[in-house]
Amino acid sequence: MRTREGRGRLSSGGPILVARAVLRERWWALLALGVVFGLVGGLVPAAGAVAERTATAYTRLVEAVHLDDARTIVPADVPEVVAEVPTMPGAAAAWTPEAWIVQLDGSPVRFSSLIAGTPPGDLVAPVLVAGRAPDPAAPDEVVVSERSAETGVSLGAVLPVTMLTLDNVADFAVGFTAAGPRTTLRVVGVARMPSWGNALPDVVGGPGFAAAHAGTGIGHAVYVRFDDTPDAAARFTEAFTAAVARHPSVVSDYLAPALETPRTTPDQAVVAAERALLVGIGLFALVVGLGAVQVLGLGLLRTGAAARPARSVEAALGMTLGQSLGARALAAFPAAVVAGVLAAGVVIAAGTLEPLGSQARFEPAPGFRPQWALAAVGGPALTATFVLVAVLTAALTWRTSAAEEPGPAPRRSLVRRWPALLLGSRLAGAGGRRGLPPAVTVLAATAAVAGIVATVTVGASLDRLVEEPRRWAGGADAVLVDAREPDVARLVDDPRVQSLALSETSYAREPDGGLLGIAAQTVRKGTPPVELVSGRLPAAPDEIAVNPRLAAQHQLAVGDVLPLVAPDGTPRAMTVVGAVVVAREDYGELGQDLLATPDGLAAVAVPRALPLLTAHVFAVPGAGAGLAAELAAELELSPTATPDAVRNLADLTRLPGILTLVLVVVAGTGMVHSLLVGARRLAREMAVFTVLGATPGQVRTTLAVLAVATAVPAVLLGVPLGVGVARLFWWEVATAVGVGGDIAVPVGALALVVAAVPLGAVLVTTIPALRLRRLPATASLGAW
Amino acid sequence: MSVRDPALVVRGLRKTYEAGTAPVRALRGVDLTVRAGEFVALMGPSGCGKSTLLHLLAGLDRPDEGTIALDGTRIEDLAPQRLARLRRRSVGLVFQFFHLIEHMSALENVALAALVAGARPQEATARARDLLDQLGLLDKARELPAALSGGQRQRVAIARALANRPTLLLADEPTGALDSDGAAEVLDLFRRLHALGQTILMVTHSREVADGAQRLVRMRDGRILLDGEVTSGSIEVPAELRAASGPWARP
Repeated sequence: MRTREGRGRLSSGGPILVARAVLRERWWALLALGVVFGLVGGLVPAAGAVAERTATAYTRLVEAVHLDDARTIVPADVPEVVAEVPTMPGAAAAWTPEAWIVQLDGSPVRFSSLIAGTPPGDLVAPVLVAGRAPDPAAPDEVVVSERSAETGVSLGAVLPVTMLTLDNVADFAVGFTAAGPRTTLRVVGVARMPSWGNALPDVVGGPGFAAAHAGTGIGHAVYVRFDDTPDAAARFTEAFTAAVARHPSVVSDYLAPALETPRTTPDQAVVAAERALLVGIGLFALVVGLGAVQVLGLGLLRTGAAARPARSVEAALGMTLGQSLGARALAAFPAAVVAGVLAAGVVIAAGTLEPLGSQARFEPAPGFRPQWALAAVGGPALTATFVLVAVLTAALTWRTSAAEEPGPAPRRSLVRRWPALLLGSRLAGAGGRRGLPPAVTVLAATAAVAGIVATVTVGASLDRLVEEPRRWAGGADAVLVDAREPDVARLVDDPRVQSLALSETSYAREPDGGLLGIAAQTVRKGTPPVELVSGRLPAAPDEIAVNPRLAAQHQLAVGDVLPLVAPDGTPRAMTVVGAVVVAREDYGELGQDLLATPDGLAAVAVPRALPLLTAHVFAVPGAGAGLAAELAAELELSPTATPDAVRNLADLTRLPGILTLVLVVVAGTGMVHSLLVGARRLAREMAVFTVLGATPGQVRTTLAVLAVATAVPAVLLGVPLGVGVARLFWWEVATAVGVGGDIAVPVGALALVVAAVPLGAVLVTTIPALRLRRLPATASLGAW
Repeated sequence: MSVRDPALVVRGLRKTYEAGTAPVRALRGVDLTVRAGEFVALMGPSGCGKSTLLHLLAGLDRPDEGTIALDGTRIEDLAPQRLARLRRRSVGLVFQFFHLIEHMSALENVALAALVAGARPQEATARARDLLDQLGLLDKARELPAALSGGQRQRVAIARALANRPTLLLADEPTGALDSDGAAEVLDLFRRLHALGQTILMVTHSREVADGAQRLVRMRDGRILLDGEVTSGSIEVPAELRAASGPWARP
């Protein structure tokens, strides 16, 4: 009877008593694991918080600024179109401020477009990031885009300008002198907004400016909010296109009122950078998470192994396996709570981090933005993970070791010259007693090496893109906008000019009505560089080369046919002969969509009264800056600034380095820990080896063989895997931007990885080797 | 070495451990000579210093005082490298719990010792096969230790200890983890080895096992109390030790 009562008490209170005993014995080890797991594992939900802030920066900004659904600029000579806009089908609201083009006084020749008026509040409301909004009564105060602020028109600037007339716009291709009124712009604020450019000028004036200069603009900007009907966009587009057709403008060649849809057309530059960032953060979280679980698992395996005798006693006393595991879960719970609390703290602290890389430029609310929900979920998740790992590791260490059960003997030949090699290879193949299976360790190391290689390779590809403007069709020393033949001829004769290409640009129409930018280049001097990604350049009127972005979007390859529509409406099939990156001068996506021969362009391009020509001038070495400065004094040059798409990616160039460092630290720590724990688990085997007469050097060699057996497969598998992952990822990013997707393989860095991983692993084994040398073999063998 | 040459000479051996707060005087002046070809059983209660003595004789630990001559070589001050070389040449060890490498076959466990001793791979394999054959385990050569019975494992361990043709075979409770059949197997094997001229020093708790030896040495409190020949069922106690009485008297 007493026995039955005792058993009853044991079944109910036994796990608690055992848990207390475990805590008394190992509280410090569990607490240390809890702290480490909380701080390191907390980086995973923290990375989620940063990823959320990064990934949503653009969409939050879109909402914060009440981004319009459609926009365009309508020339001043067709006021009827502007008047019709608010009542067009599909339009719920519209704002139609007056628009100007101004020439900045002085040299070099620079133009800027500008709108001014009183925004309705819920349509186009840029977020101020510096300074203030224009005083409603001030006739000269403006705010500028961050891009303008970064390129010289900064806060506090006072800019004398001369406005252009509509006649000036009509003379774009033949030259003009600004004939509008003169005024002064005072920059009082810097504003943040997605999709600056084209119909949303970088300079925005207040109602005071609009009132003071009413009627002097070249037209009106039109910003539209669609209604909630599903076909609002289509109905509005149809009505607007019809209105434009009814009211032709004298400047339709240069100021074509083409509708832009900033909400529905994703900014590829943003998408590419965002994708790169999220993959980077995801990789970071994956590696850190795996590292944290590995360290926790190995630590708890040790605790579980130490508890094997206790489990035998518990079993003898009648405790089931479930009760013993429950006791370990109870014992782990306090440390798990510590881990959870610390992890939640890490997540909240991550709220101080702005969106990463280029996406910080889209954050509508800079500053502390804690993720309470993620902290509330992440903390308990880590607590649960800690307890789960504690239970699993205890179960793993208590199960009958595979090595203790009969199994097939190795069939490999015994003929090995070196006993250390024989023993090391056998132990490497079988793993440590009651430790992680060797395949798991090798796979973890392979994943780490692959992650490092992929990150380094993507970093090298990113650096190459930023450092080699040729890859995005940049690199010209001067780009003449609206180039005229006398200027071009003069440059061809100039000995400082090494090569010169003249490009004509227009639009080609697809059968579904979509427009594609198209260019044709004529080489006037030398051999201007062309970024040919694959295939060849077009040589016949029915041949065309496409931008890599368009090739990916339309799934076009060399030999495919791209259907276009000629200006007279007849179908025109163009054969794709290559992928090429051709410069584009407007603020649109990087690179023209299509490159044709001049005859091919004439066959498919929307006709213009006068061709829009751009000259790309490449100077002899050392003469570029002087030539560009000389030209800028009298001609309009296109800014040679890095395009937004590349600039966004350039903001990420530090990210691969940081990520590589994190990967090296986390993966290196995990591998070192794994090797040290593995060596400790093999202390008995090493002691037996010593007893057989092995010298300390042979014991060291055996441990080195074990390390090499993990590191070499990790390198052999991880390097090609990492390069493959980098190739896939970079192709995604590069084609989204519009450049070639081939990777830059950092041979030196990869050679370093190949050499350093095995060498580092071997070096690490000197630590347990020294420990074993100090420790008598009898201590490891315990009871003989 | 002739049968009468000493394989092992121990003089004035002392060893003290720091265990917790109090030092433990494990050996308090042990003198022992084992002649080549002798089969010596070392008995004594737990904690009397038997295992410590065995560790010192195997060169796995160092004495505080005294000398150990193995095969005529003083080992107490040898460097670890030289100790290892001496061990691989002159000593074979058999453990109570076998301590076979779990992930190596029986053949590989034996051959490993031969390889460590300097044999070429083919020689090591041949030697291992030969030993396993002699011990009746050739059909188990490819088996992992986990697939063998306790007695079979211990026979593999003995084969491993013999792989380097040791001058001295040290065995610590070789039958302690075996059932009676297994113990009988191992004891019979030791007798056969002794008959072939192998020098053996065996620690055991079992009087029955000790009776299989040629000579019995009893220890207590770090000292040797009794050292005599084992005759059929009794010990021939030397005159100098006949004063020993009390718990050491044969029942």
